Amino acid sequence: MKIFLNNKTNRTWFVLIIAMMLFNVWNVIVNTPMVPEQHWAQKIFYVHVPSAWVGFLSYFVVMVAGIMFFIKKDDHWDDVGLAAAELGTVFMALVLITGPIWATPIWGKPWIWEPRLTTTLILFLIYIGYFMMRSFGGHVERVKRYAAALGIIAFVDVPIIFVSVKFWTPEIQSHPQVEMAQQPSGILTPFLLSLGIFTLLYTLMLTYKIHVIRIKNNVGSNV
Amino acid sequence: MPAVLTVSNISKSFDRRPILKDISFTLHQGETIVLMGKNGVGKSTLLRILARIMACDGGQISFQNKDLLKGSPCDRHKLLYLGHAPAMYTTLSAKENIKLALTLRGMTVGLSEIQNQLNYFGIGTQSNDPISIYSQGMLQRLKLAYAELVNWNLLLIDEPFSGLDTDGVGLVETALHRWKEIGKSLILVLHNQSRAKEFGDRILYIQNGSIE
Amino acid sequence: MFFILLKKELFVEFRSREVTLSMLVFGLSIILTFAFSSNVSPTIIANYAPGMFWIMVLFVAVIGVHRSFSYEKEFDAFSMLISAPIDRGFIFLSKWISGFIFLTIMEALIIIPFFKFLMIDFPSQPWIAIGTTMLINCAIMAIASLVSGIAMRARLSEVLLPVLLFPLVSPVIIAATKISGSIMAGDPFSFWQIWLLIVLTVIVIFGLVGYTLFDFIAEE
Repeated sequence: MKIFLNNKTNRTWFVLIIAMMLFNVWNVIVNTPMVPEQHWAQKIFYVHVPSAWVGFLSYFVVMVAGIMFFIKKDDHWDDVGLAAAELGTVFMALVLITGPIWATPIWGKPWIWEPRLTTTLILFLIYIGYFMMRSFGGHVERVKRYAAALGIIAFVDVPIIFVSVKFWTPEIQSHPQVEMAQQPSGILTPFLLSLGIFTLLYTLMLTYKIHVIRIKNNVGSNV
Repeated sequence: MPAVLTVSNISKSFDRRPILKDISFTLHQGETIVLMGKNGVGKSTLLRILARIMACDGGQISFQNKDLLKGSPCDRHKLLYLGHAPAMYTTLSAKENIKLALTLRGMTVGLSEIQNQLNYFGIGTQSNDPISIYSQGMLQRLKLAYAELVNWNLLLIDEPFSGLDTDGVGLVETALHRWKEIGKSLILVLHNQSRAKEFGDRILYIQNGSIE
Repeated sequence: MFFILLKKELFVEFRSREVTLSMLVFGLSIILTFAFSSNVSPTIIANYAPGMFWIMVLFVAVIGVHRSFSYEKEFDAFSMLISAPIDRGFIFLSKWISGFIFLTIMEALIIIPFFKFLMIDFPSQPWIAIGTTMLINCAIMAIASLVSGIAMRARLSEVLLPVLLFPLVSPVIIAATKISGSIMAGDPFSFWQIWLLIVLTVIVIFGLVGYTLFDFIAEE
């Protein structure tokens, strides 16, 4: 962290994003209107949906990094892939935790096979396998290529998983996110703001994570 | 003499422990290079990288003026690798294995010709048995019979003398001398200093990941 | 070149019968377990039968691809394929299609015990059932061969293979259960055409991805 913050641009971004995040939390708690039937539960969507967006974005980055790794044969892209995979899994875990928190009071039960949530769960499981592969697969130079291939396959599978889960349970009510666009601006504006701030936060986290992985690799190779 | 194989800056690590560091050398047509070094210095690894069986971390290999790492698979048509293991299917017989391996190289050779080679290398009577029952020396003979049938220009061979009896050693020596005479290029991994001097036009010692 | 490789897969299997035999015996033992663990009324079993069938096929497919890729490691046989001057994508295609053939053979042998032990009636339109089942086999094997190609050289490959495969293959399993269920119930084609489309998508996409990626993952 110390070395990372020695860079002036990084330092500015770090302070700026922490400030924005604090503003975001305050904004969501104080400024957004209460939805009549949902009360406080609805507020979790300012975290839940941006987390899901950032998670999927991150897994998309893993795929791009995987493709670039095979084209360029450059370890840099493996670092990017690993960093994005770790962050993506953190955000996906957030989605899987916040989803049931919202669902328990609203749907009356913590888990419903809702398409988006189910896709998230399946993807999360694939990535648990991904990390098992990374840690138990054998020596790192070999596992890199397998991880890149897996990152590509996992993301290619996402639309197929989503469509199949959607048709599997057509009777389940549509996700509140779909209705977001029709919400009054009192909800929509802070929601979009939260989405933007989460994306910026993710960019900073990714840069930092890549930085840490680099340092780790350098230490490893000098031993 | 034109260069057959140009290896530049090949490196390979296992779990971030470098085994090969910037290995570079050139092999000319008709030349024989012997690789020597202690166990575990990466001689076999280097051969497997050259045969495109193992991926390397960086560097370039050019074979007959074509990029071996990025080019089309056909570019390595004239390159043959014989490793420690026979690289053949345990459930198939010697004949079937050789036939299959030749077909994969786009070659059609009659079964009688394969049988003749197996006879010459002294395993003709067992040529229809599955190779899972073969001994180390028999497998070594099998590999050599296969090498005789392939139309290669560069042979990478890992410890050709291991596991062989006196007759077998004689057969390998004859084969190596013959190949050298007709101007083929070879890279051998050997442990015996006097043999290395006998066959190698050049001897490369690998130590701490580099050529000394 | 693809046909040479496919012939090799079939010939090696013809010699050893390792893959089909292990799949068959494993499949039979799964059916037995199902029969013992679901000693309930035939109507309930009939509802669950498509799901049971595809669970069995998935487990059996794991055994099959694992065996099919592990015999390549004996005597370093895989080196013969990857050092040969051939497009490595064809190695994937031959593993995929041969796996599909073995899985279909296994199902052909096991389908009668499956229906008889679980006391279910045969579907009224057997040819449609067979055709769709073969397409689904093809989709399952496309994903399974690709994942097995990734996991084969990894340590703990026998653990990694199912852990990676099951979530990846979940859309196919959902589609398969829906298709078989609809056919057993005699639903019209319009009821399950979307599922067939998903299966075909998986075959095309994973076929292409596997063919492309295999060049990068085949090396040691």
